[in-house]
Amino acid sequence: MNFQNLQIETENLPKVDDLILKPISKSYLKIITLNKLALYAGLIAFVFGLKYLIEEKESIEINIWYMLSVVFVFCIVNFIISILAFKKRAYAIREHDVVYSKGLIVHSVTTVPISRIQHVEESRSWLARAFGLSTLKIFTAGEAGSDLSIKGLPHLEAKQIKEIISEKINGND
Amino acid sequence: METTDFSQPIRQSSKGIIVIFAFKVFQFFKKFFVLLLAFGVSLMRRKSFAGITPTMMLLALISVLIVILIIAILKYLNFKFHLSKDDFHLATGIINKDTTIIPKSKIQNVYIKQNFLQQIINVVSLKIETAGDKKSEIEISALDKATALLLKKQLFNKAINQNVNTEEIEVQDERDVFFKITPKRLLLEGLSQNHFKSFLLIFTFVFGLYTEFKDYVRELGLRKHIEDIVNLDDDTILNLLITNALIILAVVLFSLLYSVIKTFIINFNLEVVEHQKTVEINKGLFNKVSLSLTPSRIQNLVITTNRIKQYFGLHSLSVKQAMVNAKQQKNFNIVALEKVQLNYLLKKLLVNYNEEEGEVAKPRPYFMRISVLEMLFFGVIINAFTLFLFGIEMLWVNAVFVPFAALYVYFAYKKAYYRISDDFITVGSGVIDTTTNILEIHKIQGVKLKQTIFQKRRAIASLVISTASKSVTIPYLSKHEALSIYNFLLYKVESQDRDWM
Repeated sequence: MNFQNLQIETENLPKVDDLILKPISKSYLKIITLNKLALYAGLIAFVFGLKYLIEEKESIEINIWYMLSVVFVFCIVNFIISILAFKKRAYAIREHDVVYSKGLIVHSVTTVPISRIQHVEESRSWLARAFGLSTLKIFTAGEAGSDLSIKGLPHLEAKQIKEIISEKINGND
Repeated sequence: METTDFSQPIRQSSKGIIVIFAFKVFQFFKKFFVLLLAFGVSLMRRKSFAGITPTMMLLALISVLIVILIIAILKYLNFKFHLSKDDFHLATGIINKDTTIIPKSKIQNVYIKQNFLQQIINVVSLKIETAGDKKSEIEISALDKATALLLKKQLFNKAINQNVNTEEIEVQDERDVFFKITPKRLLLEGLSQNHFKSFLLIFTFVFGLYTEFKDYVRELGLRKHIEDIVNLDDDTILNLLITNALIILAVVLFSLLYSVIKTFIINFNLEVVEHQKTVEINKGLFNKVSLSLTPSRIQNLVITTNRIKQYFGLHSLSVKQAMVNAKQQKNFNIVALEKVQLNYLLKKLLVNYNEEEGEVAKPRPYFMRISVLEMLFFGVIINAFTLFLFGIEMLWVNAVFVPFAALYVYFAYKKAYYRISDDFITVGSGVIDTTTNILEIHKIQGVKLKQTIFQKRRAIASLVISTASKSVTIPYLSKHEALSIYNFLLYKVESQDRDWM
């Protein structure tokens, strides 16, 4: 009989916690900043719009400074969090899987085995094109929960990873 | 019995015209329901609307129906299908001709369904599902049952043949009815359901109606009436209490009735038929469905029961398969199984599953802290609400709420556990219901470790395990434990090279 059932020492298994994850491109921070600034500008414009529209009709005085300061505090906190969270975005490609971690307040590390990947997609928005970046989307057959979307990879690297993964998927068959 | 030859293009049964017609009419009315209603009402009121009289309206309606009938007939005439050696061909379309070819090997599921109308005219509809988007579904809406079964068999035969398993087909003809539900068990199942949700839903609805109605009365009524309400004497309070109690009683009865009727309609004549490799489910009162479960395609199994159900020996088994659309997914649910039958089915669907294998472990007590916080949050909302609506006297709700919350926390923690064996993960959860999630390790699609910033200090993390049909969370483990499970699962998936489907 050629059956073996070796005990698996969980301590000796390859560990995801020892893995040194590679941070995404620094230029992506610029994209985040631009996106956030656009959002904040929108918010502030909304506050002003609210003031003028409502005051004309309802003749209710809104303390604009009060509202603006609330919005400002929100923006600053949000901005600091997103900059800190940027540092948490990191990824790694191992022989058998892709690891991606992100999030400051809710930190998550997701691993998708390469053998479960259905297809890989590289997409670039116009902003990302301007900075030479791209987003790598990895789709599994699973629910949306196990799909990965690695944003802010250098274009060349994304392309390479995509090719490596595609090769592995097709090679296995 | 004459056997149908599928090699030549054929139409469905001529009764199909009726089915298509009914379906189209239904669709038409569904689309223009609001418009028609508004039109109808204004007609009723004014007898004429922009020069249109009721008679004209009726004529218009009849002509619309005739047009729909003509479309239905044309559709029927232009709907032809046939089978070649490896493919299923379908030609449709009145003006734009569409030809669909589906390779048999790509067919994922074939369902046989029968809705109320189809039951009356004695035809069934056959639905072919392929992997991929929902639009690639094909439905043949009227076939007589023998033809449908034959077609289903032929569609599957070739598909299975490619996987080299000829014995299976021969044995598949043997029907071994493994489980058949009795009305008594169905009644028990309906009664013992978790009524909390339907109760809350109906309660809020009725309560809303009641208050609306009160407002209405108040508006209509005289000032005296309002004074009556303002000057609450003992009598009115008693009255109010009695009305409220009656309302609650009615709601309870109603939600019971609702559950029972719903259970009966969905699960009427539930029958589990065992084949060599697959398991077939037949059920339904108005919509008869017949589904088959293939073990290789099963991703998750969810077993639900509760205290009362356990007493009667009622267990529900819900099977999550890959490549099944969400609407159909709901039907893969077998209710009112005995414990023995449940175990037998589990063995059948999950090879080598052993309930005792693997160590049972519990989440960290941090779990309770979160549950307490949840309940606290809920409690604050309830208190604010009652305070706002009824004033300070109503704070006695806390007397009900606090023990309820305590029980909630206690049971939530008591029922939470996980067990990881060599091939399976079992996760238990639930508060009122006892839910058991089982999945096979080699069917995992991805693993995710989640940790909030507050959990970081305590070194606690949660694990989310996704398969092709569902994500299961093991909540609040110690980070060390979570990581070692994480690594173990990845190792298992990546070293085995087993297919997930």
